[in-house]
Amino acid sequence: MWVTIPFGAIALLLVPLAVGINQDVLQQIGTGMLFVVVMLFGVLTSIRRTNIETPEQRDAIALLGIDPVAEFTGRVMASAALLLVFEIVIGVVAVALYGLDISGWEWMLVVMPLAAIGLAELGTLSASIAGSAQAGPALVPLLVTPLAVPLLLGATQTVKTIGGGGVNLSWLVLMVIVVLVLAIVGVLTARPLQETR
Amino acid sequence: MKSTRRSAWLDIAAIVVVLGALVFAMLSPKVESQGDSARMLFVHVPTIWLAYLAFAVTFAASITYLATRSLRWDLIAGSSAEIGVVFTTIAIIGGMIWGKATWNVYWTWDARLTLTAIMLFVYIGYLALRRSIPEPEARARRSSVLGILGLVQLIPVHFSVTWWRTLHQTNTFRPRDIQMDGPILAALLVSVAAFTVVYARLLRYRYELAQLHLAQYEAAAATEGPVAGDAVSAPTIGTSGA
Repeated sequence: MWVTIPFGAIALLLVPLAVGINQDVLQQIGTGMLFVVVMLFGVLTSIRRTNIETPEQRDAIALLGIDPVAEFTGRVMASAALLLVFEIVIGVVAVALYGLDISGWEWMLVVMPLAAIGLAELGTLSASIAGSAQAGPALVPLLVTPLAVPLLLGATQTVKTIGGGGVNLSWLVLMVIVVLVLAIVGVLTARPLQETR
Repeated sequence: MKSTRRSAWLDIAAIVVVLGALVFAMLSPKVESQGDSARMLFVHVPTIWLAYLAFAVTFAASITYLATRSLRWDLIAGSSAEIGVVFTTIAIIGGMIWGKATWNVYWTWDARLTLTAIMLFVYIGYLALRRSIPEPEARARRSSVLGILGLVQLIPVHFSVTWWRTLHQTNTFRPRDIQMDGPILAALLVSVAAFTVVYARLLRYRYELAQLHLAQYEAAAATEGPVAGDAVSAPTIGTSGA
């Protein structure tokens, strides 16, 4: 976490150097850049367990008889909490650097947790799928990034409509549907995935 | 012997259907606004339809694998995904060539185009995952989950032309609102049928190849696997300096 947050902040700092320091342009692309950084760098947070957990620890968890669904839920909640902290810190950096309009900020109380839960579900599922494969750590970003597109679209489009005065709830509904579908897939496949460890 | 002969006849039938589709495509009337470039329709639409079909088969076979734990369903899922990736690539490249002739650009940030490219990466990831796990059971369980998740991406791709105002035309096949001349529609349907037959043959051959790989892996595992007690070496007696 102490590496991912500065890493994300540097990415936000690099964007103006690449596209130019026109404040209007930065305000226009700022929200999109924020969620792209959250998506790309948040993956690192959500797969952290793959890097820190040893095969012996995984075996111990399996031998303790913990329900795989409870294990999946616990991992998602832990990753979502970390991702939410990451989103808030990076969001503050984005507002400061790009001068983002923060009117209607209360909607972010819905958008950010939904994005965090969705990404955490995707990261947990992908880490379980690819975790102990030969190319596991390299594979996870390839698996997560394309599947996170509906979350990215939902988050950026919702925030964009806040700027227009009202909120288009259909984008929020898309995010909720994605979060629910991922939860269902995660719960239904928790047991077969645990068997492959 | 009998099945080999039947397979050869099916191959010949597939070639005849493809040649028939080619003749239909060549004889179909020219579209005034687009000229001959409109004939790309007879490749572009069937290839993207087959990409959908192939990924839907992967989805269904993945669910069936998890329900039955029979490896043949995993082999079907993997084989179909591989063919789907090939057809999606052809559809994107064909669409780009058509786009250059119609819109004067190879690529535009259109919702359908962009989401189709993203869908391609989902299944490239699926194939990469399969290649990274040599053990068949583990590969089947892990990739079946991704095979199910992949369908989540297929839905926004299909409905993107309805959800967003896009440069890409709306879905070609709308049973209640067909805006296509009879001969062009007939040629398109023959082309879709021909490509579907080709898909079925490719799937059959890829599945057989996957079965051979599986048999080869199992044979190698049976002969080269570790034997209990391998790690224990016999003590050496009487060689110390004592």
